[in-house]
Amino acid sequence: MANDKSNMQLVANGILNENPIFRLVLSMCPAVGISTTVMNGIMLGLAVLFVQVFSSVTISLFKNKIHPRIRIPSYTLTIATWVTVIDLVMAAYMPGPYSQMGVFIKLIVAFAIITMRLEMFACKESVNASFWDGVGMGLGFMAGMMAIGLVRELLGLGTILGFEVLGGVRPLLFFVLPCAGFFVVGLMMAFFNYIEIRYRKLKQVAS
Amino acid sequence: MKDIMTIIIRLTVSCLMAGAVMGATFIITSDAKKQNKYKNEQKVSYGLLGYDVSKGIPAEVKLHELFRYVVTTGDELSVGYLVPTGHGEHGGFTFISISLDGSFIGQYPVDIDHASVRDESDRDQAILTALGKGKTIRYADQTVIATANDQRTAYLLSGKFPGFKTFIHVMLALEPDFTILGLEIMEHEEDPGLGAEIKEDYFKNQFIGKSFAAVKYLEVDKVPLPDDYRQALDGKISKEEVALVQQNYKDKNIYALTGATISSVSVTNGVKGITKKFAYRIGILDAVIQEQNIAVPF
Repeated sequence: MANDKSNMQLVANGILNENPIFRLVLSMCPAVGISTTVMNGIMLGLAVLFVQVFSSVTISLFKNKIHPRIRIPSYTLTIATWVTVIDLVMAAYMPGPYSQMGVFIKLIVAFAIITMRLEMFACKESVNASFWDGVGMGLGFMAGMMAIGLVRELLGLGTILGFEVLGGVRPLLFFVLPCAGFFVVGLMMAFFNYIEIRYRKLKQVAS
Repeated sequence: MKDIMTIIIRLTVSCLMAGAVMGATFIITSDAKKQNKYKNEQKVSYGLLGYDVSKGIPAEVKLHELFRYVVTTGDELSVGYLVPTGHGEHGGFTFISISLDGSFIGQYPVDIDHASVRDESDRDQAILTALGKGKTIRYADQTVIATANDQRTAYLLSGKFPGFKTFIHVMLALEPDFTILGLEIMEHEEDPGLGAEIKEDYFKNQFIGKSFAAVKYLEVDKVPLPDDYRQALDGKISKEEVALVQQNYKDKNIYALTGATISSVSVTNGVKGITKKFAYRIGILDAVIQEQNIAVPF
C-alpha cells in the first residue's frame, strides 16, 4: 500500500479526519482521566508526540527486520524504550511539570493510539511518511486533550492555564472529577460528528 | 524451528538495543535529576525557615542533617541516629545507637563525607561497615536541625502519612519549642479541586503558629473559613495585620476544606503525629547526647 498523500496532508489527517480521540476513539483513558487542565493536556500531548514520532520512525526503519509473528512485542518494546527515555529526560530537566505528570508519562506505554499507528501505518510506509504521520497523530492527540482540558478547567476551576478568568468563580466543580470527562468527551465527539454530517451535506448540495 | 531461532535472535538483539538506549539516557540524566531534587528540597527547607534562596542565606544559618535508622541485632530492635560531629565541613559523622527504652547502647564513628551522606546506598554501606557484622539497618526518616550562631532555631521534618488515596509527603518546620513554623506539601495525589487544595495557602498556613500544646489536641472543624482569616492566610493584607488575625485564631481548630473532609483530617492527624513523635524522639536523643558528652554542632 503506497501512500499518496503529501506530508502536510498526513499532518492534517492526524489532527482532523483521523483525530485519535474524537474520530478513532483511541486512548480514552488519558482523555477522560488526565484532561482536567489545559496544562496537563499540553504536557501529555508533547510526551505522546515525542513517543509517537520516535516509535513510528524506529519501526519504519526496521520494518523489514521485524518478524511478522512478534510484531506486537517489538512495538511494545520500542514504545517502552522511548517512554523511558522521555520519562528520564523530563524528570531531569523539567522537574516542575514532571512532579504533576510523572505517573501518567509511564502509562503512555499502554496508549492504544501509538501501537495502532505502528501497526496500521509505520510498518508499511516509508520513514518520511511515518514521521509526518506521527507528528499529525501527536498533534491531533494534543489538540484533543487541550480542547477537553479547556472546557473542564474553565467550567470546573474557573481558570485557563492557571490564570483566573472568571474572577474566582468556580461554576461547576463537577467538571474536574473523572466522571465529567466522559460527558465532555462524549459531547465533543457528538459535535465533531455533527460538523462532519453538515459538511457532507453541503458537499452533496454543491455537487 | 528456523522461525523460532530467528525470532529469538531478533528479539534478543532488539532488547539489547533498547537497553543500550535506556542506559545511555539514564547515565546522561541521572546527575541532573539528583541535583534538581536536592535543589528543590533545599529551596523548600529555607522557604519554610523564612529565607529566600535567590536572595542569599545569612552565613550564620546552618543546616545539620540527622538520619534515623531502625537497627536489628538478631531479633532485638533498637534505634540509631547518624549525626554530624564537630564543626562545619571538616567534622565527621557518628552513629548513636539507643535501645527502645531510651538508654544508650553505643557510639560508632562512621567514615563518610558530607557530599556522599545524601546518597542512601553510600550511607547505608558506611553505617554497616561501622557497626560490624550481624546487624541490619533500615532507614526511617531524616530530620534537619537549623542553627544560627550555634543556637537551634528550627527543626525541619520530612514525613508521610496516608491521604485520601495514597501517601501525602510533607515537610514540616518546628520551632525549638515545637510550635509549628510552616507546612509544605511535597507530593500528593488528592483529587484536583477538592483534596488537592491542601497545598493551597489558605489551608496549609492554618497550621502556622499552633503551639505544641494546641497541636496535641488539634481537630478539624467542619465550618466555613471566616473571611478575615482567609485573607490573612492568603497573605492579601499587610504582615502586621496577618500577625494580629493569626493571634485570634491561634488556639482554634483547623477549618476543613469544602468537600474534602478526609484529606483535611488526614493532614491534621499526620501533622499531629509527626510533631508528637518527633518531640518524644528528640527528647531522648538530646538526653543521650548530653549524658555521653557527644560533640555535636547543634
